[in-house]
Amino acid sequence: MTLVMVVDDDQDLAEMLGIVLTGAGIDVDLVSRGDEVMDVFRNNPPDLVLLDVMLPGLDGIEVCKLIRAESMVPIVMLSAKGDTQDVVKGLEAGADDYMVKPFRHPSELIARIRTRLRRTNADVSGLLTIGDLAIDVQAHQVTRGGKQIALTRLEFDLLVALAKEPGRVFTRDALLSEVWGYRHSTDTRLVNVHVQRLRSKIEHDAEHPEIVVTVRGVGYKAGVMGGS
Amino acid sequence: MNRIYSRFRNSLAIKVILSTVVLSLVVMGTAGSLLNSQLSRGIKEVNLNTALVEARSTIFTAEYRFLLAQGERDSVVQKVVDDVISSATTLTANENAREVVFIRSPGNTMDNNYEIASNLLDPNSIPTSLSERVRKKPDLVYQYTNMNYLTGTRVKGLAIGQKVQIPNAGQYEMYIIFSLANQGKTLDLISRSFFLTGFLLLFLVALITWLVVRQVVKPVREAAAIATEFTAGEFGKRLKVDSQDEIATLGIAFNDMAESIEKQIARLENLSRVQQRFVSDVSHELRTPLTTLRMASEVIHSSKDGFDPIVARSAELLVAQLDRFERLLEDLLEVSRFDAEVAVLEAVDFDIVQLVQRCADDLSLVAKERKTQIYIKSSAPVVMIKADIRRVERILRNLMANAIDHAEEMQIDVRIEASEHDVAVGVRDYGVGLDENALIRVFDRFWRADPSRARTRGGTGLGLSIALEDARLHNGELEAWGRPGRGAHFVVTLPRSTWERIDQRLIPLQPEDYKA
Repeated sequence: MTLVMVVDDDQDLAEMLGIVLTGAGIDVDLVSRGDEVMDVFRNNPPDLVLLDVMLPGLDGIEVCKLIRAESMVPIVMLSAKGDTQDVVKGLEAGADDYMVKPFRHPSELIARIRTRLRRTNADVSGLLTIGDLAIDVQAHQVTRGGKQIALTRLEFDLLVALAKEPGRVFTRDALLSEVWGYRHSTDTRLVNVHVQRLRSKIEHDAEHPEIVVTVRGVGYKAGVMGGS
Repeated sequence: MNRIYSRFRNSLAIKVILSTVVLSLVVMGTAGSLLNSQLSRGIKEVNLNTALVEARSTIFTAEYRFLLAQGERDSVVQKVVDDVISSATTLTANENAREVVFIRSPGNTMDNNYEIASNLLDPNSIPTSLSERVRKKPDLVYQYTNMNYLTGTRVKGLAIGQKVQIPNAGQYEMYIIFSLANQGKTLDLISRSFFLTGFLLLFLVALITWLVVRQVVKPVREAAAIATEFTAGEFGKRLKVDSQDEIATLGIAFNDMAESIEKQIARLENLSRVQQRFVSDVSHELRTPLTTLRMASEVIHSSKDGFDPIVARSAELLVAQLDRFERLLEDLLEVSRFDAEVAVLEAVDFDIVQLVQRCADDLSLVAKERKTQIYIKSSAPVVMIKADIRRVERILRNLMANAIDHAEEMQIDVRIEASEHDVAVGVRDYGVGLDENALIRVFDRFWRADPSRARTRGGTGLGLSIALEDARLHNGELEAWGRPGRGAHFVVTLPRSTWERIDQRLIPLQPEDYKA
């Protein structure tokens, strides 16, 4: 059984989330205070964290940073604010995805959780290379010259999505559906922030990316580095 | 000329200075010429009297000496005459020159002729009118004349004459001519001084006026500048008050007014901030329970198949109304962002033709329900623009949804036109249309064209007003045209890159198919 940790101070909403997730066959751990999260997290590591931004004790952004410091577990932020700054702040703190309350459809929440939990790219096997990076899809590892680079699952998925078809230009919408499992979305902030985060980990110089290249006005593609 | 006139009209200082100078000129001119004529008359009178006294004594002395020379020889008499002349005469034709002319009276037929004129003076300098009067009168007679020298020099003079009796030689006329060169010079000097003093005074008056006017005008100008800045929105601006005159009173009054306005504005700003804050907070606070509600309703709805039909229908209504409630909440939140002026653009590059197509596709089901169809015509297959895609999509969606609502089962034409700088999308329907009154209010919040008309799509009543704000946020424009029964036309024009301005309307607002 998969375990999802739901962190929300609104008892009713948390309970409702519990009902919906349990109904979808997912175990739920409810936490209502931000400063209690880490204890529960260490005692019973979840497969995914559903994290509200406004929390008593410690706010969601801080909690997100704390979790990211010790785990690559998928984090989906729940926010009552659709405002850009909050969303971007959450993503920069390490969240993989976010959902703005109220959700369009509860089924959408479950779909997103499943996308984040799914072992993506199961069809891709063996080793991929992109630039001077070696990607072992099965082992979920990225190495440069034998040295491992730690990526979150989402960052890994994003990189694999680009690397498995080198040279193909992916629109942001295509990436949203491929990596995040969105059907229709124009929220390109999600892609932009994650590409930035991925670049900061894998590029030699994030200001002049060579592995994840921007195609102006269209999207991104895996760059073919000269000499490799 | 026009510029000078407008400067005169626009500058209080120049107006005051010019008026003062002109008035002073009139006053000084009158006073000066009066004084000048008074003075010159006085001087002439004094000179005349002196001359008369001198002439009388000279002529008296001459007569006396002639009397003494009675019976002497001719040569002696001649010597006496020469003597008299030379003692009455100055040596040269200088400015104080005094000349003597000695002429035989007509009718004197004596042999001896003692006629003489001193210093080469032309005896014709004596006007005939004077000579005639001398002959008639026994006393001194005078007249102003010109002294003509044989050398060619010419000086103004005063001629005084009298009959003189020389024993044994008959009657002569003795004229003494006083040069008035000096007097002329004095008079010239006086009038020149008057002119000079006048001009100097005028200049000083202008200078003083300027200084005085500046004292008044400068604070007025400063006040005007401060008032302008105040109007421009710098409500903290105040006048400097450092005296206790009327200008200071003006300054204090202005500052009091500014103070009161600033307070009022701050109060209103605070009120509206509190209000906007409240709306925003309410919207946010409503979201959490709404999320719970939606999930609960969804859970109920998903198992409605097992319900009794009334409960099942209620579940459907619950879900539908929650949808509507949520849209309303979203729109309210967006409106509160516009009101608080915190709405921001997140510009990305995208193809607007593709976006229009996608919006039309998304709405095609609704359109089908309403028995209408959306046709898209674009002047170019791809039109890349840099704009906030979320907002542009919302504008397009709102316009198309609005058109579907009012299409009356007739088609909807969407047209895209692009120039190098701008892009325009026109949404034309041929349905109910809008009257003049409706056109004015169509972008108002919660406004309905016809209150009795059912809002079938469950719109929030904020769609068009938000679309307009979205367009304006891009420096674009959203305009509406409509005629009752002839449909409506909404045109949104946007700059193709952010922060530019639109410089033309690519699609005429009045549709080309419309003939009045």
